[in-house]
Amino acid sequence: MKFIYQLTISLLLLLSSIVQALEVSELPQANANKVVIKVRFDNGSIVDPKGKEGLTYATAAMLASGGAGGMSYAQLQDKMYPWAASYDVVVDKQISTFTFAVPVKFVEQFYPLVQAILLHPDFLEQDFTRLMKGQQNYVDQVVRASSDEDYSKFALENQLFRGGNMAHLLTGTSQSVASIRLADIKAHYHKVFTRHNVSLGIAGNYSTTLLTQLKNDLAQLSDAPYVAVQPSQPRAAKGIEVEIISKQDAFGSAVFTGAALPITRANDDFAALMIANSWMGEHRKSYSRLYQKLRETRSMNYGDYSYIEWYNNGGGNQLPPSGVPRASNYWSIWLRPVQIAQQLHAQYPELAEVKIGHAHFALRLALREFSLLIQNGMSADDFAATKTFLRSYTKLYAQGPEQQLGWLMDSAFYGRSNYLVELDKLLADVSLDQVNQAIRQYWQVNNLFVTIVTDNSEAQALADSLTNNTPSPMSYSTLVKSGLSPEILAEDEIVANFKLNIGKVTLVPSADTFK
Amino acid sequence: MLKQFLLVGGALLLASCASPKLAQETGSLAMVSASNKILPYPIYQHKLSNGLNVVTVPFDSPGLASFYIVTRVGARNEVEPGVTGFAHFFEHMMFRGTDKYPKEAYSEALKSIGAAANANTTQDRTLYHMTGNAEKLEYMFELESDRFMNLNYSEHDFKTEAGAVKGEYTKNSASPYQQVYERQQETAYNTHTYSHTTMGYFNDIVDMPNQFAYSKTFFERYYRPEYNTILVVGDATPAEVNALAQKYFGHWQKGSYVSTIPVEPEQNETRYVHLQNDSIPAYFSMSYKAPAFSDSKIDMPALDVLASMVFSNTSDLYKKLIIEEQKVRFIGGGAGDSVDPGLFSIQVSMVNKDDMAYVKNEIEKAIAKVQIQGVDQALLDRTKSHLKYGFAMGIDTPSAIAESLSHYIQLTGDPESINRLYALYDQVSVADVQNAAQQYLKPEHLTIATISDAATGELQ
Repeated sequence: MKFIYQLTISLLLLLSSIVQALEVSELPQANANKVVIKVRFDNGSIVDPKGKEGLTYATAAMLASGGAGGMSYAQLQDKMYPWAASYDVVVDKQISTFTFAVPVKFVEQFYPLVQAILLHPDFLEQDFTRLMKGQQNYVDQVVRASSDEDYSKFALENQLFRGGNMAHLLTGTSQSVASIRLADIKAHYHKVFTRHNVSLGIAGNYSTTLLTQLKNDLAQLSDAPYVAVQPSQPRAAKGIEVEIISKQDAFGSAVFTGAALPITRANDDFAALMIANSWMGEHRKSYSRLYQKLRETRSMNYGDYSYIEWYNNGGGNQLPPSGVPRASNYWSIWLRPVQIAQQLHAQYPELAEVKIGHAHFALRLALREFSLLIQNGMSADDFAATKTFLRSYTKLYAQGPEQQLGWLMDSAFYGRSNYLVELDKLLADVSLDQVNQAIRQYWQVNNLFVTIVTDNSEAQALADSLTNNTPSPMSYSTLVKSGLSPEILAEDEIVANFKLNIGKVTLVPSADTFK
Repeated sequence: MLKQFLLVGGALLLASCASPKLAQETGSLAMVSASNKILPYPIYQHKLSNGLNVVTVPFDSPGLASFYIVTRVGARNEVEPGVTGFAHFFEHMMFRGTDKYPKEAYSEALKSIGAAANANTTQDRTLYHMTGNAEKLEYMFELESDRFMNLNYSEHDFKTEAGAVKGEYTKNSASPYQQVYERQQETAYNTHTYSHTTMGYFNDIVDMPNQFAYSKTFFERYYRPEYNTILVVGDATPAEVNALAQKYFGHWQKGSYVSTIPVEPEQNETRYVHLQNDSIPAYFSMSYKAPAFSDSKIDMPALDVLASMVFSNTSDLYKKLIIEEQKVRFIGGGAGDSVDPGLFSIQVSMVNKDDMAYVKNEIEKAIAKVQIQGVDQALLDRTKSHLKYGFAMGIDTPSAIAESLSHYIQLTGDPESINRLYALYDQVSVADVQNAAQQYLKPEHLTIATISDAATGELQ
């Protein structure tokens, strides 16, 4: 009897220590009309076993889009329909986050579904077949065909992290997805969706009872020992290493570059570099340098930006989304598709002789701007204006409860308590010297990776031009050229001959990517 | 991202509908019942003597406000040949400066506000928006009034910006869905301007640099108080907003131009369009002529309810085609709200193109069932609940509310349309849904678009 009593006590203690260990981000909002729950697992695509890339994604998909607790996926959807409740999962390189949202009125009815989805997935064969068909189709076809811009970004990550666990698509490769079996998913769920690598976020008008219930339920997840996996680091480029992905019927050349960046939001220096990056290439902002030089002045494309961390769904998001924190980092330049020769021929008779479109010139221009910034640093005026801008703009990152909660949980990932608040202080305190020091310390233009997705018709010519550092004069239409100032034309001349430290240029047929 | 991936067909396909209905589906009846209106916050409207409507919705977001201007001009107004895509192009030109704020000064001013600011254009409107520090509201008013009244760009800047539009076309056209959408619009409409997309015809985009003189006419016509509505949501009072509007827009001269939009004659036969492309899974869409948006007639609300019941992921079709038979990767359907009669489109991404005819037949059977038998009352009630709560859950930031209200301002000029529409949803009966299906989902009003690796469409 005594023994049983002691055992019970130890179990209770053990349970409470697990409950206490659970990292919880709370955002109570008494006026909110809903409750948002985020359950994050520190796993992500980096924990995919070799040869089974895409397994974490597939497992998360089986939870979020399959039957659970004896209810089919259709039954789960039916139950939630009148409440307009929702749930989904976002898988990234290092984490998977389930987000549940429900009107306050229906929280109690909805909660058993949350329990079922997280704790009692049914892993039905029928769901497996359906979801894997979709995943296979995505890696085989869709990723190559829907957006050349996203394609160039995923391909760049593949190049930058090649050989490491950060390289592959979240969805895996054609081969690896084909090899995933239902048994793999069940085992993976048990192994990497555990009580030891889970954290919880809750926002809105929720009760303490709900929170306690959630904590207790998450303690019921698999008890398999979880060994944290470290994300692979970016490779060091030897010179500028370019991969040109050649595809049929591309309308333009989509360009993305990347090079290792040893700091993240966890480092105070990040705020300094953020100021430089905002001035150079703030996402979707017309007043940044790259945008001004390529789009505003030269009419080359739709926009040009730079980044010091992964920016998810850049084509769709105006503000940086939460939920994609990464400890292995790189900085990048995104040049939206520029014209290819074939398109220039079709539009301007005076450009009929042009052999290569604008990609080479655009890359030179962007890298020269970075090179100038590294050399000269930011001016005091630009520094002050950009600091003021960022201190206001970053307050817009987390507007609704879901985003607020997301940013709070990301803070914990980086070892911060509330990153956006801390960031404001860092931005307020940073000096021009610190910014210019960070620029020199973390940015260089001689060793980096570049991916260009372009049309078959000019892939080889572009590759030759890059390999040989051939001058790449800007080919304007007469209409535009006639109005350009002598200063711009003179700058064009310098850009056209700006020497790139080309290390290697490789042509890759589209069909050979993500194999 | 899983979210993105699961929607990969859907998001791309549905982009063409651009209806905020989709974005709004995520809600509080407690709040709804409190005011008996779907929007639980009062909408204050004030009309200046020049016809400019000023709308304020105070919202508890300390220090934060959204400032929107809805210009009720879009691709729909592009009636003259050779200038399709102009409303969108003009949106770009609005960032090219004035005498007081030349483009560099405008860029600096915009940056100093530290706001999330941008613009976009659809079939029916152009939207200019800023969300930022509420203390900067007066500065936002000053900047916007200056460019809306005094825009002044050089011919060179005009020609240069045309290149950026071409770049945007280039970016969008990478998607076969966008390519087939262009053709679908051109096929479904013979005379109405919905026949071209917001981007415009390729040849017109190529010719844009030559249309400097027309751009001045365009500005004179549409950038006038009667075509515009100012909307402020967030930490601001109606008195404050109205005073700022008077100060900065009170002297804006009213215009006189009225565009005559050609009326689309009734369609009498199913039309087909096909895109040969082997890079994506086979796809087809079925687009029926739908009614214009109305906040007083029951037709469109009935069709919206029908769309949710028949094509959402709780529908029988979804369960059969996607979950059980697994012949379909994605299915969705619904009518995009538009000023003039638009399209009720059903979009399907296939697993195997050989099943297209079967799937089309299943869709037609589901429609015929509604036409003949009506719909289940309990499901109808559940659908109404879904629509209401979905809306209420989505309006938790100033910009989300402003986005939603802008949508209805573009359609009727009156943000109260949102409350009237949701009141109509409440009234939709089984007979209304049945009538709408009979009246609008007819084969003679249908345009079918297909994408596959075959030279001709499988459904032709």
